[in-house]
Amino acid sequence: MGKGYPTIAFYPEKCNGCNDCVEACAQIKTETSEPVHSRISVAKDPDDEFYGLSLCRQCGDPRCVMDCPARALTKNEDTGVVHWDETKCVNCQICTLACPYAGITYNRITDQVMKCDLCNGDPACVKACAPMALEYKIGAEIYNTWGDLEDLFVPGVGACLGCNSELIMRHTLRRIGPNTVVATPPGCIPGVGSVGVNGITSTKTPVFHPLLTNTASMLAGVKRYYNRIGRDVTMLALAGDGGAADVGFQSLSGAAERGEQMIFVCVDNEGYMNTGVQRSSTTPYGAWTTTTPVGEALQGKTRDAKPLPLLMVLHSCEYVATAALPFMEDFYMKLDKAIEASKRGMAFIHIFSPCPTGWRFDPSQLIEVARKGVETNMVPLWEYENDLGRINITHVVNEPLPVVTYLKSIGKYRHLSDEQLVYIQRKTDERFELLKKFTKESKLEGLSDAA
Amino acid sequence: MGKILVCDGNEAAAWGVARSKPDMVAVFPITPQSSLAEYISQFVADGVIKADLMDVEGEHSVLSVLQGACLAGARTYTASCGQGLAFMFEPYFRSAPLRLPLVMSIVTRDGITPQSVWGGQQDAMTVRETGWIHMYCETCQEILDTVIMAYRIAENRDVMLPVNVNHDGNYLSYGVEKVELPEEEEVDAFMGEKNTNWHVALDPDRPMGVDPLTGGAGGVGPSLFVSYRKGHCKGMQNALRVITEVHEEWGERFGRYYAPLVEEYRLDDADYAIVTIGSMSGAGKDAVDAAREEGEKVGLIKIKTFRPFPLQALRDALAKVKAVGVVDRSVSFAWNSGPVYQELLSALYFLDNRIPAVSFIGGLAGADITIDHFKRVIDTTARTLQGEVPSECIWLNEND
Repeated sequence: MGKGYPTIAFYPEKCNGCNDCVEACAQIKTETSEPVHSRISVAKDPDDEFYGLSLCRQCGDPRCVMDCPARALTKNEDTGVVHWDETKCVNCQICTLACPYAGITYNRITDQVMKCDLCNGDPACVKACAPMALEYKIGAEIYNTWGDLEDLFVPGVGACLGCNSELIMRHTLRRIGPNTVVATPPGCIPGVGSVGVNGITSTKTPVFHPLLTNTASMLAGVKRYYNRIGRDVTMLALAGDGGAADVGFQSLSGAAERGEQMIFVCVDNEGYMNTGVQRSSTTPYGAWTTTTPVGEALQGKTRDAKPLPLLMVLHSCEYVATAALPFMEDFYMKLDKAIEASKRGMAFIHIFSPCPTGWRFDPSQLIEVARKGVETNMVPLWEYENDLGRINITHVVNEPLPVVTYLKSIGKYRHLSDEQLVYIQRKTDERFELLKKFTKESKLEGLSDAA
Repeated sequence: MGKILVCDGNEAAAWGVARSKPDMVAVFPITPQSSLAEYISQFVADGVIKADLMDVEGEHSVLSVLQGACLAGARTYTASCGQGLAFMFEPYFRSAPLRLPLVMSIVTRDGITPQSVWGGQQDAMTVRETGWIHMYCETCQEILDTVIMAYRIAENRDVMLPVNVNHDGNYLSYGVEKVELPEEEEVDAFMGEKNTNWHVALDPDRPMGVDPLTGGAGGVGPSLFVSYRKGHCKGMQNALRVITEVHEEWGERFGRYYAPLVEEYRLDDADYAIVTIGSMSGAGKDAVDAAREEGEKVGLIKIKTFRPFPLQALRDALAKVKAVGVVDRSVSFAWNSGPVYQELLSALYFLDNRIPAVSFIGGLAGADITIDHFKRVIDTTARTLQGEVPSECIWLNEND
């Protein structure tokens, strides 16, 4: 995964286009305030809602560095800054074409390219930005902590384009490490080759196919024996919603009630995607699937999704959390807590996992779709710690987007009527209010209110 | 000489478990197995059994936790029957192809519907094609001894297959007999070292993908799949030898010799024979003795090992007689007769001469198979020698 470096983050919704950053940059670099010398610029098309930023991202795999024929651009492995060497530059300007962010630009006054060097860690633009639309920060710091660890899932697996499950598998295994027994019940994850095909496996840890129905039970048996002989081995389940919420629920519920020590991850893509996009109990209301089709009489699923993570809270698991991959640091934080909690009992993580193939959206939009799910409050990110006895919302959405902004980005909701959209908005609000009752300070005090 | 107990078959099985020293036991109560689950729980509470006892939420998970434990290296035990076995079927079905040396008692019970909680072998017979080894016990002592022997058979490297030790619900589960409990040290010496997962394991020290997708129409899939199936068949055939050897060693060490596959009772000079399985065999032997006193040259063939099917042993026994009557305690609906009878017909094919064979079904849902019932079996079979061969199966309790 590489390393996380300092960069300048931009929050377009805060930018007012004042251009103070541009002046500050020009000032510190050339002691003039001429915008032409600025390494940063902001601009907006009349049709756009927000300003856009042109600035070097100090990329991890910089295209400018790769494409420079003169080796005039290099990435500093210590600071992360992409450094331009004036003495080597042949002024071909290929780098300006290579950069997708307009982060290195041609200065017609100096007749040379120029780019941001982060001002030795104290960028003038950030200091000049009154509305705080710019922030100097280390991006994806988790990579510095976990980035050098081995990817325990081999490259070249057979996942669909833009598959969220593959991301989950790689990150989860990387964090939890090789001293782990991994259970992947039938579904997309073994479908892409976790256990393997015809004698060849894809996972570098012990891995197996439990039945769709008995993942938690088999892991419980493995763990109990290792405890008996005094070996500390982590148990990890990567199950789909069918293997967790539906036919796998009895064994999961039983293991949770008994406090079996494991990390049970439900990769919830809201249906049976591996078998061809059939409905599951976590398929949301209104969603099209091949078994909740759209026709004259019926328009998608007629029932709401089963609230599996809340059900797991009511099992008094040691730890329960929801997660979504656009919020990777949140997910890693929860993995950390789950690892610790699994030494005492059941740790359950429910990952919201949009599926480009089954949900009908462009694979390039995977992270955007997942982000909108969170920012509409359809998929709140929270955690429950047994010793605290309440739910903590880990990513507070101050101004939730209307659900329609999420629903309209996904093909499986394309048919929804206005009435259905209103219903989904109402249920989303109600579910979030219910969730908030669980966040009260005293232990599960909200339950009586909710009931 | 071990301690003498007076106990029923379920307690005898629990004592067999105690002497076998499994690491992990999981049970879910179901009539008529429930008291076995209770004995085991009490033995664990008393420290007689030092296993981890997992009280899980149903039979499906019972076998699942034991599969997991076995893949981590544990020796395991469970017991079930009837609907419990039916609910367990999904993990049960894959135990043998995974080559897991599990040991499980089936305290046999008739199938529902009609709703029934009483003995009958419909449950065990229904799962006869799943690749498990099936042995049927006649007495409480045989239950205790066979539970212990089952581990030696299951864990033998030439076998590596799960074993069902079956005893009749009601008749053996609750029937009380005198039983000798072998000494712990002597059983330890008999058992030897445990190694349940040298071949397939979930162990970070030996990472492997357990049970990848196998098969398909191309590449190495078809031949790989066949190699697994043939390996399983080979393990089953090896089991015939290993079961025999283990029973012989048991006899040498403990003085109790059992017919490992097929028992021949008063067969050598017999004109005809009856065939029994399980606890009915005692009444069958008494009926044979009574008939002998009246001059009937009748013998008895008792099947102990039904899976793998003891073809050679059964063929050798059948070659000694001119007619045979088979008593089943379950139904093969496809053939309107009993499953043991149907399979015995296959063995008859290998004889030089075709002999008449009659199917009897008795003892369903807790019904008794008495000496009088066996007299009818003997009489009917005898008459086949005069050409009176019934065209249909005879239901022994039909007019009780």
